Amino acid sequence: MRNLLTIILSLVGVFGVSQNKQILYGFDDIPQSLMLNPGSKVLQKKHYGIPFLSQIHVNGGSSGVSAYDIFKDGNDNINDRITQKIFEMKNTDFFTATQQLELINFGWRAKNEIYFSGGIYQEFDFIAYFPRDLAILAWEGNRDYLDYEFDLGEISTTGDFMTVYHFGLNKQISKKLTVGARLKLYSSMFSYRSVKNSGTFVTRLGDENSENIYEHTVQNADVTVETSGYASLRDLDGAGQVTSEILGRAFFGGNIGVGVDVGFNYEINDAWNLSASALDVGAIFHSKDVENYRAHGTYTLDGINLIFPPLGDGEPTYPYYDDLEDEIKEEIPIDTLYNGYTQFRPTKFNASLSYGFGKFNATGACDCLNMGGENLHKQSIGLQFYSIFRPKRPQMAGTLFYHRRITEYLSAKATYTVDSYSFSNIGLGVSADIGKINFYIVTDNLINYSNLAKAKSVSLQLGFNIIIDEE
Amino acid sequence: MNKVLSPSIFMVFACLLFTACIKDTDFDQAEDIALTPVIELDLIFFNLQANRFFDTINSTQILTVRDTTEIRFLDDSTLQESLKRAEFYFKFTNSIPRDFQVDFQFLSELNDTTYVTATQVAQGTFAVPVITEFTENVEGEAILLLTQASKVVVSVTIPSSNENLEGTLNLKSKTTYFLEY
Repeated sequence: MRNLLTIILSLVGVFGVSQNKQILYGFDDIPQSLMLNPGSKVLQKKHYGIPFLSQIHVNGGSSGVSAYDIFKDGNDNINDRITQKIFEMKNTDFFTATQQLELINFGWRAKNEIYFSGGIYQEFDFIAYFPRDLAILAWEGNRDYLDYEFDLGEISTTGDFMTVYHFGLNKQISKKLTVGARLKLYSSMFSYRSVKNSGTFVTRLGDENSENIYEHTVQNADVTVETSGYASLRDLDGAGQVTSEILGRAFFGGNIGVGVDVGFNYEINDAWNLSASALDVGAIFHSKDVENYRAHGTYTLDGINLIFPPLGDGEPTYPYYDDLEDEIKEEIPIDTLYNGYTQFRPTKFNASLSYGFGKFNATGACDCLNMGGENLHKQSIGLQFYSIFRPKRPQMAGTLFYHRRITEYLSAKATYTVDSYSFSNIGLGVSADIGKINFYIVTDNLINYSNLAKAKSVSLQLGFNIIIDEE
Repeated sequence: MNKVLSPSIFMVFACLLFTACIKDTDFDQAEDIALTPVIELDLIFFNLQANRFFDTINSTQILTVRDTTEIRFLDDSTLQESLKRAEFYFKFTNSIPRDFQVDFQFLSELNDTTYVTATQVAQGTFAVPVITEFTENVEGEAILLLTQASKVVVSVTIPSSNENLEGTLNLKSKTTYFLEY
C-alpha cells in the first residue's frame, strides 16, 4: 500500500499535461501539426516521418498536487503534508498520463492538389480522478467520520493502450479555406474503465433499538470495472508472454474502433486567420476478451449475532462467520459479466484565432517556403482554445501564442497557457530544417524546468521528419 | 540579427532541457509515509433470555452457556503486521437479577488459546436493567498474541438459577482498530 502510494506520488509532476499540444497546434512548419488539425495549411510537398522518431510525445499531470508539495525538504512531517493535501484536493482533481509514439508518418501532395497523409502511432492514455472520500477513509479511518457518507461514486478512472492507423485528406478548396479529414482505425491492446459509479458507505452510531453499537451501511452501491484484453493476460506466465500477446493485438488482433478527425483553416483576410479541429470523434467497440465486474446492492453490517444454541458434546455451533460472508455476498454480489461495451474516445477540440504581420521572404530571391504565392507572415500572435472530454467533465485550456519564422530554416513558437493545472504555463517550440531533415522539439512548463518537482504537469513532444518542399 | 538569434534560441532551449532538474525534494521521505487509519467496527451481539440458564426438562440449572464464532479477519497476515492497538468495548444491559461472569477466550486455528479476557456483569431487575461497560485495551506484545486468533469463545456463567428467573442479558460490542501501514 505504502509502496503504491510512493510510486503514484513520485510519478506526479514527473510526467506532463492532458493531451493538450498547444504549441504544436498551428505550427505549420512541423508536419505533425497536421495530426492536430487535418485541415491546416500544408506548406510542404511531401514529408516522411523517420520511423519511430517522427513523434515522441509524453505528457501527464496532476491538477491538485505536485511532487514538491509532498516531498519537499522541510522540518514538517511528510504525513502532515499528505493529510493537508488530501483535504485540500477536490474530487474533480485528477491524475493523467498520456504517451504517444509514431511508428510511421508520411504525406504527399497529389496532382489533384489533395495532400494525403497517413501513418501508425501507438497511444497510452490514463486518467484517474482523486477519490477524495475513499482517500480520507483509507488515511484516517471511520472513527472521526461517524454519520459521514463516504461517496463511492468518486471512483472514476479509465486507461487505454492502443495502436492507431490513420489516413487523411487535406485540400485548399478556395483562396481562403482549407479543409481536411482523417479516418482512424483503433486497434485496442488493453483497456479498462470504472466510471459512473454510485453509492455511499456510512457508519452510524446505533440507538437503543439497534442490534449493536454501530450500523455500517453500504447504500445503493453500484461499482463497475470494465476490462478488455485483461482476462486472457491473467493466465499467461511472466512478462515475456504478456508483452508478446499485447504486441500481437497491435495489428488488429484485439478490439477494433473507428473515429475521425476533422478540421479547417480559414484566412479571414491578409492578417487574420481562424482554424479549428475536432479529433478522435469515435469509439472502440470492446467485444473480444471482455471481463466486467459489478458490485451492487445495499447492506447493513451489525456484527455477529451469537445465538448460544444448546449443543451436545463435540457438536459444532453455527458457522456465524461463513453465514455473514454469504449474506454480504448475497446482498452486494460481485458479478462477473462478459457483455461487450463501447468506449468513446476522449474527443479533443482545438480552435485558434491569429493575427499575422510582417511578410516573410527569407532570401528575397527565392520565396522557397511560399511557392503558392500566399502570404506567409513573419510573425503571428493569437489565441487558442483546447478542450478534451473526460469522464467527469471536459478539461479546458486557453493559450496565448507568438509564432515567428526566424530564418528559412528555423521557426519558433512561444505559448502562455491557462488550464486546470496552473496559470503560469509557458511553453516553447522550435522547428529546424537542416537540409531535408526537419527536427522539432516542443515543451511546456518551462518555468518549472529549474525544478520539475514543482510542476503539476509537463508535456514534451519531439521528432524528426524528412520534408520535401514545393519546388 | 536572425543569424544571431537562431543559435541563441537553441542555446536557451538546450540549457533549459539540460538544466531541468528536481531539487529541494527528498524522496527518501517516502519511508516515513504512514497511513494511520482508526477503524470502528461492530463485533458481536447477543440477547440471552434468563430461561436459557435452566433446563426445564431435567429440572437442572445450566450455569454456563457458551458459543463460538470465527473472526477470521483477525489473523489475516496484513492485519497482523499493521495492527498497533485494539480497543474492545462491551456494553451489557442486564435485566436478570443475577451477576454474571463473562469470559472471552481467543483461539488460534489449532484451538490454542492465544488471548483471554473476562468481566463481571452487575445484576439488574426486569423493571430497571443495569448497564455494565467493559473496555479491554490490547497493545504491544499482547497484539501479537491477539492476532494469532481466528475465533472467540464467549462463556456466560450465572452463579445460580431457577425456572422462575426472568429477564435478558444483552450484549453490544465493538472494536476500535488502530492501524499503521
